Amino acid sequence: MLSSCHGGFRLFVGLCAGATLMLSAAALASPDHLVLKQGEQARSLAIDDLRERADQHFRFFDPYEAEEVEVRGLVFRELLEAEYGEVPQRLTFTAWDDYEVTLGGWDDPNWILVTHQNGEALGLRDRGPLRLVERDYGDRDPENLRNFNDWVWMIRSIEAVP
Amino acid sequence: MKPAPAWRRHVGWLWLSLMSFTALILLITYETRWVHPEIHAYFSQSGNLTGQQLATRSRGYLQESLGLLLEGADEPAHRERALFQLELAYSLFDIGLYRREYACTEPNLARLDRLGQRLQAGEAPTPTELNRSLLAPIGCLTEIEMGQLDRRGLATNQFVEETRRHQTLVLLGSLLIYVLGIVFWWMHERQRRSAERATRESLKWMSRAMLDPLTGVGNRSALNEEIVQREGRPVGLLLIDIDFFKQYNDALGHPDGDRLLRRLAMLIDESLAGQARLYRMGGDEFAALLDCHEDATLAGDCQRLTEQLRAASLDHPAHPHSDHVTLSIGAARFIAGEAGLALGYAAADQALYRVKGEGRDGWEVARVEAAAGNAGA
Repeated sequence: MLSSCHGGFRLFVGLCAGATLMLSAAALASPDHLVLKQGEQARSLAIDDLRERADQHFRFFDPYEAEEVEVRGLVFRELLEAEYGEVPQRLTFTAWDDYEVTLGGWDDPNWILVTHQNGEALGLRDRGPLRLVERDYGDRDPENLRNFNDWVWMIRSIEAVP
Repeated sequence: MKPAPAWRRHVGWLWLSLMSFTALILLITYETRWVHPEIHAYFSQSGNLTGQQLATRSRGYLQESLGLLLEGADEPAHRERALFQLELAYSLFDIGLYRREYACTEPNLARLDRLGQRLQAGEAPTPTELNRSLLAPIGCLTEIEMGQLDRRGLATNQFVEETRRHQTLVLLGSLLIYVLGIVFWWMHERQRRSAERATRESLKWMSRAMLDPLTGVGNRSALNEEIVQREGRPVGLLLIDIDFFKQYNDALGHPDGDRLLRRLAMLIDESLAGQARLYRMGGDEFAALLDCHEDATLAGDCQRLTEQLRAASLDHPAHPHSDHVTLSIGAARFIAGEAGLALGYAAADQALYRVKGEGRDGWEVARVEAAAGNAGA
């Protein structure tokens, strides 16, 4: 009896774990939306739409790639203005690898939300689907990656911090 | 070419000194405020993109992926989740620096690529294949981590060495600026003291130039100076002449004549109750200047002086009309000022000559009328 109970419980736990794993895997494995949050409200933007809206093209030396690349993206400030109605003071970013950071100073057209690199849409393995970079990083040494700690990769959600 | 004024040289050293100390403060402020963020950027270990090594994070995702696949590579959900972890690991592994510095990076990225393609195709890798596909990249990432730690150690040592050198330079620079500031301040102080000393000397000499060295009372220049000081005030002027002083000198000698002059200076001062300023105008002529509103007061002063001289009974062996020293006094009242002095002095002098003409040993107060500086007007 006890053994049978244990067996039933194990089966239940196994099913639950399996279902959870399937659901979360389905959600995580398809990073095709960007979630924008403000207070209690949250809405999502299709990554494909953002890729279509990407109208900035330029070449620059990507310190993390250690080579010159051609990128395409959106001016991040304009996206914020369009989606939030203004540029929030600070934003909390959550990445697909659960990296989380809160940063300010976004009222600056130098920040580009990159969607494509060398003609290809960014995927997770390219540190996409969305990546925030500075178009012009001045005279900072690209050999020292710590100079680019404010860049954000694999962006999953953005939350305006009041 | 005219030399720079003293005050400009004075201010020059002070200015240089202040600039030095200001530069010192700016240097210290710069060092404390702007160097710190640089240290933070180098050594902060958390809360930013590269706080934890990318290789470490990548290895973590590979280990999770390996765990999931070893647990159940046959399960599509496990494979899908493992694939997701693999993608994250790949993104953090595929870094230009790693490709350039670590030879194991490229082949192991290719291994991960092949494993990802198999998982996407729905194939379940065997444990042996997993060992080959994941343990080698994990090993490579460990090698990268160790290598990066060494590099960070080297960078840290370099940074510390540079900081030490920089601090030594800043310390020497600060000391130099400080010493310069002190030197400039010392130069300024030296110059200020020198200027003060020069001013004191000038004042002393000016003061000496205004005094009669024999009697210690003022001279003609001092009288002019005093008139300027009392500009606009009603004053009385007494011109006092020693009767037959030449004969006194001839009879008793100049030393006794000098003593008489000193004695008379004291006597005049006492008679006027210390209210008058005394001046020696020439050989045997004194002047006394005092505040005075009425001719009667001036007359009273003349009378008192004459009486006190008589009371003093100073012997004069060569006096043709008396056994004692006598004085002729002419006085006038006027409003202090350049014009007033000229009029007053002339009036008092005329009064003095009238007294002399009338046999000396007397006094007269002149009436200064219809003159610009008339005190009675």
